[in-house]
Amino acid sequence: MATVFMKWLETSPKDYDRGIQLLTLGRLQGVKEEIVRDYVQEGSRVLEIGCGTGALTRMMAEGGGIVTAIDSSPKMLSEAQRRIKADNLEGRVTLEHMDASLIGERFPARSFDLIVFALVLSELSNDEQGYILEACTRLLAPEGHLLLVDEVIPSNWLARLIFYLVRLPLVILTWLLTRTSTSALQDVDGLLTGAGFHARRVAAYLGGSLVFYEAHLPVEGREMVIPSEGAGEGLHTCCPPSAVRSVRGVPPTPVELAPGVIGRLCHRVTLRTLLIDLWALFFRILPPYPKVRPGLYAIGRPTPVSPVLVTGNFDLTVRRLVRAIDKKVDAWVLVADSAGINVWCGAGGGYFTAEKVIAALMSSGLGEVVDHHTLILPQLCANGVSGQRVREETGWNVRWGPVRAADIPAYLAANGKKTEDMRLVHFPLKDRLEMATVVLGFYGLLILIPVLIFWRHMFWPVCASLVGLSYFYSIFHLHLPGRDGLMKSLPLSLIALAGLFTYSALWHPLPTPRLFSWSIGLIGLSVFTGGEMQGMSPLMRGEQANWGWEVVIGAALGLLYWLIPIVLGWR
Amino acid sequence: MSEPSFWSTLAEHWQLARTLRGLQIYFDSQKCTGVWQCHEVCPAGCWTPDQEKRVAIFHHPERCIACRACVLQCPRGAIELK
Repeated sequence: MATVFMKWLETSPKDYDRGIQLLTLGRLQGVKEEIVRDYVQEGSRVLEIGCGTGALTRMMAEGGGIVTAIDSSPKMLSEAQRRIKADNLEGRVTLEHMDASLIGERFPARSFDLIVFALVLSELSNDEQGYILEACTRLLAPEGHLLLVDEVIPSNWLARLIFYLVRLPLVILTWLLTRTSTSALQDVDGLLTGAGFHARRVAAYLGGSLVFYEAHLPVEGREMVIPSEGAGEGLHTCCPPSAVRSVRGVPPTPVELAPGVIGRLCHRVTLRTLLIDLWALFFRILPPYPKVRPGLYAIGRPTPVSPVLVTGNFDLTVRRLVRAIDKKVDAWVLVADSAGINVWCGAGGGYFTAEKVIAALMSSGLGEVVDHHTLILPQLCANGVSGQRVREETGWNVRWGPVRAADIPAYLAANGKKTEDMRLVHFPLKDRLEMATVVLGFYGLLILIPVLIFWRHMFWPVCASLVGLSYFYSIFHLHLPGRDGLMKSLPLSLIALAGLFTYSALWHPLPTPRLFSWSIGLIGLSVFTGGEMQGMSPLMRGEQANWGWEVVIGAALGLLYWLIPIVLGWR
Repeated sequence: MSEPSFWSTLAEHWQLARTLRGLQIYFDSQKCTGVWQCHEVCPAGCWTPDQEKRVAIFHHPERCIACRACVLQCPRGAIELK
């Protein structure tokens, strides 16, 4: 899928603010005010994890805090920087581009009176949550507080049902409008106590689905906290491997594995994977995306010298990788959090970044499992994951693997030498048909539901035309003349019209007015197919401009449909 | 901060779309030191490594799909997409 989808996935800071506002139904603002009022004093040293556009950062700085705010998104940070400058708070705020998993190494022990997580922790994988909270026990001053505001899934089943009923439409709506989504935590108490904190719930909002926690270090522990040496220790206290249940769809076999490894991945087809595949075939681009828990996995029987393959956490991505290499190679698979999006689009949309790879690398304890320091990244994430940044921040070497997972065994056998073909993206028939189905699943609904409601008698003809045109285009578009999808829709319309007139001439003569209506309809659908299918092709540039032309052409066709019959006196 | 109107958002979007369409690679071969990360990551086969001169050549501009991989990975910042 090319740039159009990536661009669409990209969240702008403005959208992000609106999205968060919408998802928390505006309640977050009150919590922020409470934080500033009750916890920030003149001169408080504050660390804010994941500051986003810096709304809370500025409030805390205005309240007297000396704030260090980190975020892993450069775009959010530059927006935060702009607003901080506008408010003249530069003296009180330090912004740092950093992944949360690196805080333990970057800041001195006991250097903060307040550490704040606002809607951040739920965005991270279980490994990262444990790792980062454990680092916080060292960064926090003896009398300091850790504050946690986040969404939780209620434990009561009735509350949980209501939570999902309210949340699901809200999540989809917010995502479509702003490309912003949040996740929810399961057990905040367990998470905080597991890391060694004493936790207290200060308040709960929205039926218990948005909570505010305050945590501090136990008194007897305050003197014993050891400064930052051995950042890897206590890594898995939060989720010991024995407590790990099977990863959905890919159950790990209970064989002895190094601590830190989540499980062994095997290629298996179950009813669940079939259902996910079926859903993904039609509605892949709609959230919630099926995800795999990020972390370290084994494939086959890897040893400390086995290669480490990095990938994103889209369920389909991981399963296709496993299918391609299971039983062929022994390797470690490091699943980084790509927000449940495939690596190419995730990287293009800013979801799969160097920070995510660093976070997975640090929090999984990979360094203790393998002897070498080389990561093999999928080549297609190179548009978003900066290899240089991973190298500089972690000292690990980055190599770009092949485009297709199927080439991995050959790539590894050749000691990391890629053939020219392994570098190139192809768009074979099977993929073209698959993408046509994905487009139909989404845009088909967009067209067919209004048709079903307003022009019920036209439903089957329109449905058949759309399906026919989409598959015809996906099969033959490489041979149609024209630079882009929109230009290719011209020959596509001509072919569709030729089919219509042949049908009318040979089998079922249609009266002229009906022939005319049909022609208008087919041209419209052809333009739509050509324009929209382009975004799904990895060989053409995504053309966001297409929708504009589609609207213009659609309006022109509508005008013709209305005018010509009047001029010619058919009505 | 005032909310942008519907029409200004639409205009912004349209402008962005036009920019996307016209994106082109600008390559400063003076800065190139021949590490060939661009060739390593390009999924469209635009770049060719010149083994003798130790530089990369932007050989097939027509294949470029504007994915930005080479821009991000070039350690010298020799590639721009605008």
